[in-house]
Amino acid sequence: MKGLFLHLLCGLIFMLFQTTIFPHLLLPEMRPNLLLILVIYLGLSESFLRAAFLTLLLGVLQDVFSGSTLGLYATVQLTIFLLVRLFSDHLNIESRPLLLGLVGVGTILQSLLLGFLLTTFAEAGSVLGILLADLPFQVIFNLLAGWGLLVFLLKLQPLLGTRQGMAGLSHQSKHHGA
Amino acid sequence: MRDFLKRHQIPLLITVLILVALLVYSANLRKKTTTTIFERAVMTLTEPLQQGIHRLGSGITGIWNNYLSLVDTRQQNIEVMRFNRELRAQLVAVNEIKLENRRLKKLLDFVEDDPRRVLPALVVAEDASSWARTIVIDKGVSQGVHEGLPVVVAEGVVGRVIKAAANSSRVLLVTDASSSVAGLVQRTRTRGVARGNGLQLKLEYALRSDPVERDDLVVTSGMGGVFPKGLVVGWVASVHRDAFGLFQQIDLTPAVDFSRLEEVLVLLEPEP
Repeated sequence: MKGLFLHLLCGLIFMLFQTTIFPHLLLPEMRPNLLLILVIYLGLSESFLRAAFLTLLLGVLQDVFSGSTLGLYATVQLTIFLLVRLFSDHLNIESRPLLLGLVGVGTILQSLLLGFLLTTFAEAGSVLGILLADLPFQVIFNLLAGWGLLVFLLKLQPLLGTRQGMAGLSHQSKHHGA
Repeated sequence: MRDFLKRHQIPLLITVLILVALLVYSANLRKKTTTTIFERAVMTLTEPLQQGIHRLGSGITGIWNNYLSLVDTRQQNIEVMRFNRELRAQLVAVNEIKLENRRLKKLLDFVEDDPRRVLPALVVAEDASSWARTIVIDKGVSQGVHEGLPVVVAEGVVGRVIKAAANSSRVLLVTDASSSVAGLVQRTRTRGVARGNGLQLKLEYALRSDPVERDDLVVTSGMGGVFPKGLVVGWVASVHRDAFGLFQQIDLTPAVDFSRLEEVLVLLEPEP
């Protein structure tokens, strides 16, 4: 339960960063999606049920702060979580470059899913053009943010103590509960 | 059956979850401008945090802009003084016209057609995504704001309120891809729909036969029912006319600089 609240709190802090601090410093296309990184991390490290529930909550949370329709990011984040989960058994999640690669692929996938949902279900005008134009910047800045968060997490590791299932951290082992 | 469910419980569960999320999305598409209890709760909870961070950020930016980054300030000051002198001279002429207008209105027994109240609000946050264009303001239901109200600044139209919580609201900017405003080219009276495409706007459904030109002013036509007539939307940046077809393609530069939006005005319902 403590872990659940910790991740939710983390998601909320990330959202505050994305809505209040990043706009002061970065252009819209350069603002990284920290919640996507958190969802990928959850897909690799947490038990299935907890991670799925958290992903749904984080997706809905992102919907409150983004766009105009509730449920869009919930669908997108859950799909990304599922795909990460499907492939996680075949990946060496201790590898940091691989983790960053997943962030890059996740960013591309997110843009494609958003474009698909927005053009299929809603009358979203030129949103596909905006998403595709922003994609290279999004990939670069999400990778930078992912790398930054990984470095931060590694620095934090001595304080947190050794914990099973923390993806990408040294001397950890993968732990997938069903 | 039970064995099948047990064996495939994880894929089934995630499929159900995605379907539920998709259904929520699909259901909410029809009521974009209604605020759910969940949205209201999260917005109310995060509003003090967003305001606090915004104040802190503004304080730091203010110190930087007002005390540290003062390159070219003297030159700018000379320019502003010169501009001020020109404006003062124009003001005398405008005051004359104003007085004359007042006299004529009195003669015609003219009634003001849009007696809306104006509520100033601070922009405290922006959209969490890179593709959507929304802002969060520090006024909500408690101050009389509700979904659908127009938001403007002195330069022109900003957008409309799409979600409203107790003390904060979210505004969909006119530059958002899902936003559309009924517009009118002021000089030619050509009607069209101004749609956002992220940074700029496009005026759609403007008749090809109308002689719209670069730098023409586009204002709201008042047709959509959201924005009152005559608010500035933007200027014509370019016009493309194909050899055939009913409409011409018009690109607009928005009148408002959305990257520097700090204070806005919410146009409240007219008092009964």
